[in-house]
Amino acid sequence: MVYSEDSDAYSIRTVNLTKVFGRKKHSGIFGFLRREKKKEKSRGEKSVTVALDHVNTEIRSGELFGLLGPNGAGKTTLVKCLSTVLIPDEGTAIVNGFDIMKQTSMVRASIGLVIGGERTLYWKLTARDNLLYFASLYKMPRKHARERVDELLELLNLADRADERLEDYSTGMRQKIAIARALVHDPPILLLDEPTLGLDPVFSRQIRSQIRELSEKQGKTILLATHYMEEADQLCDRTAIINDGKIVAVDTPNRLKAMVKETELVEVACYNPPPDTESYLRTLCPKVEIITLIHGEESKGTPSRIKIIGGNAEERVGAVLDALRKRNVQITSLNIGVPTLEDAFIKLTGAKLTGEG
Amino acid sequence: MKKPNDKTHRLREVSCPTGWTWTNLKAELRAIWENNVKEWKIELAYPVAFIRQCFSPLVFLLPFLIYGLVLVGGRFSENLLKLVGTGDIVTFIFTGYIIMGFIGTAVWAMGFSIRKEQWYGTLESIYITPTSRLSLVFGMALHSTGHQAIGTLLQIVVIYSVFGLALKITGMLPALLIFALMMFALYGFGILISSLGLILKEGWIVAEGLHSILQILSPVAYPLLVLPTVAQQASSVFPTAPALVGMRTFLIEGYRPETVGNVFLHLLALSAAWILFGIFIFRLADVYVRKRGSLEKY
Amino acid sequence: MTRGEALLGIKSDLFIVWSEVVKNIKFLLAYPVVFVFWAIFPIFWFIPFILQGQAIVGGLQSQSFAEIAGTPEFIPFVVLGSILNSYVMTSLYGMGESIRREAYQGTLDYILSSPCNKAYILIGKALSESLASTIFALSQMVICIVFFGINVTLGIIMPTIFIITLLILGLYGMALMLAAASLQFKQAHDLAHTLEYVFYLFSPVRYPIESLPLWAQIVGKLLPLTYALIAVRSLMLLKLGLTALYAEIIILILIDTALIVIGFYLFNRMEERTKKSGVISQY
Repeated sequence: MVYSEDSDAYSIRTVNLTKVFGRKKHSGIFGFLRREKKKEKSRGEKSVTVALDHVNTEIRSGELFGLLGPNGAGKTTLVKCLSTVLIPDEGTAIVNGFDIMKQTSMVRASIGLVIGGERTLYWKLTARDNLLYFASLYKMPRKHARERVDELLELLNLADRADERLEDYSTGMRQKIAIARALVHDPPILLLDEPTLGLDPVFSRQIRSQIRELSEKQGKTILLATHYMEEADQLCDRTAIINDGKIVAVDTPNRLKAMVKETELVEVACYNPPPDTESYLRTLCPKVEIITLIHGEESKGTPSRIKIIGGNAEERVGAVLDALRKRNVQITSLNIGVPTLEDAFIKLTGAKLTGEG
Repeated sequence: MKKPNDKTHRLREVSCPTGWTWTNLKAELRAIWENNVKEWKIELAYPVAFIRQCFSPLVFLLPFLIYGLVLVGGRFSENLLKLVGTGDIVTFIFTGYIIMGFIGTAVWAMGFSIRKEQWYGTLESIYITPTSRLSLVFGMALHSTGHQAIGTLLQIVVIYSVFGLALKITGMLPALLIFALMMFALYGFGILISSLGLILKEGWIVAEGLHSILQILSPVAYPLLVLPTVAQQASSVFPTAPALVGMRTFLIEGYRPETVGNVFLHLLALSAAWILFGIFIFRLADVYVRKRGSLEKY
Repeated sequence: MTRGEALLGIKSDLFIVWSEVVKNIKFLLAYPVVFVFWAIFPIFWFIPFILQGQAIVGGLQSQSFAEIAGTPEFIPFVVLGSILNSYVMTSLYGMGESIRREAYQGTLDYILSSPCNKAYILIGKALSESLASTIFALSQMVICIVFFGINVTLGIIMPTIFIITLLILGLYGMALMLAAASLQFKQAHDLAHTLEYVFYLFSPVRYPIESLPLWAQIVGKLLPLTYALIAVRSLMLLKLGLTALYAEIIILILIDTALIVIGFYLFNRMEERTKKSGVISQY
């Protein structure tokens, strides 16, 4: 960590940042004929999605700040607002001392953006050509750009493949080039939106290691938006939990996990839980705060998990196990009292990181 | 560059030219050039398409010529002579058709520059850089202009070899100047269409419509006089009609211009108007699409 | 195989074709603006030729033109050429684009790994493209009858439909070849463009084929559009009967047969090859 606890230098500060999107239903080419649906819809009502709801947050210089939430929580919207791609409806943000609404050029010069996903680079160009092109868009002098690109390619161990087209690269290698692009102009701030999305565990680990290095050795301020709990837990100095456009809590991962007391958590890993498991267990344990079933990919050997979080969860373990056995649920493991960030997320929001309700 | 306030005194300074400075202008020009180079590299990765596109202007010119020759049984048209003072169909059509590809530059290359980046998946990555969006559009324009120039040279070589052309050499320079002025105005028109590409998912329909209308209003294969009066008046708003009349005046012996007035002043005014209007609409579209959040939606 | 099994096989194959047609038409109707555009706008593309003709000739008829084309009316000549050429456009691009769209959406792998004969899927795609083309052509024809003086009597409707059907069959064969190429080569789209240029230059779309040099006429006479255009113009402009066109019809049938056989063969070969090489659906 480069920053000091006493530092009052904020690289990013959001002030009442709000973004609302309208929703549009498509009722097909003959939808106008359906008069019943028109009558049902009350006048003046408009379907909207509040993607960001008066978000106020501060990220210190040199901090690796996590933004943890399920799909649709508002992470990408926040990143897009900070990167000036999206104009908020209310509020503003100050990035590296520049207002995103009034000083967009300087904000853009201060940030590098990495988005997860396949197509964000020119596949028909080589890695070197891609990086040199983007360096020119960051107004870097040519000589400096060439040196910087060579340096980055060496750093990422891609120097020997720098003159091959990206269409011949693997997904992980392309993501490395995407990171290199974000670093080419050496910005003080990096915005990473699900940078390990779709990558295998080996590449994911490499990317995470690079992120940590950028924060620790180069002192960059990094905002990491992710729905992978382990990522936020392992990497971040502080993490904000976001759900439904609101930031619910901001603290270090350890302090967030500490919100879930050890006696409050029971996790049962199992196969074939019936669909009504949650409601059934709720009748059994009425005083427990949260009971949630997280489906695993059982065909691939990943069991489903039943999490029971609440004041007397530990006391109810026996009854819960008996009830599950009676319903022929195949129990594989039982965990008591080691909370994860996901548990903190569930306790704080009532929702799951997978995005289910 | 603005100094950070007290609370943010630990922030890192960034070095980036902005505003109306020579350094910034050089940086923007460089971005335009690099965009052009990037497009050439991507295009040359598809060599078959590149070769085909070089021949494309010729493919679409030949039917006009052959059709014209068949209609009058030869190269000379009495009616054309009566209308504009020259009866040479081949030279008349050829001097008109030269600009067709460049209309395509404005409508398609510039108009769909933004959509192309959306298709590549790189639009957001470009939008977060401090370079002006217009540099992206102008970069595509530069690439397309170069491309069309190759196609036009090919046209000149083939048509001259097969049919022969009767052009005044002394008129080449003023004709080139007129052509350059026309291109500036077309670039402004292209900026306008690129903003359509930002907003409309099916913007190609509007672009195709505008392209066809512009083609009809431009006296490419026929004099302006055969158009209805309303269409003739409408054509003066676009740069292609006055440019073609002006170029033919300088290039074709005996040609009688169908419009009055100074073509250079006319084109200067149109260039200024279209560029300013195009930039204005482009900025509005940019804000609109960033408010809606539909930048990367293809 | 019993008769029942054979019938069941034919029924399921026809159902595949039908499903594909329904799906593609739904796609088309999901873009009503596009639909209306294609129904009207191609007319704008031949207006310059009409204006050019009027400027050069000074009227609506040309005797020089009649000496080669057999009719002095160049406007209906050009209009009919444009409308039939639109079938070429949709056939060349429609099927290839349809396959590329499947690849882009990620559904191509699933289609190709299904147990049905893929040729029926392609036939479905081709049929939906032809259906769309016909609707657009009819719309354009109505506009042309009103504005450009095309005369259509009831007696020529069926023979015209017959000729256009033969044209479409030949274009299906070409489209199959392009579909085969698009499975293997990412630049098959350029092949479609190149074919479009060949049709446009060497078929009598804008001018009679006799106005071309001999070598170009030979190329043109290998294309199905040439005979379709000659036949339709003979029916509508020269008022000839179908029996007077037996030579053109026989040649068209022979060309169609050759194109379809080669098209099916190439497609099946390419499908096998791409499955082995794993190039399939690389977008």
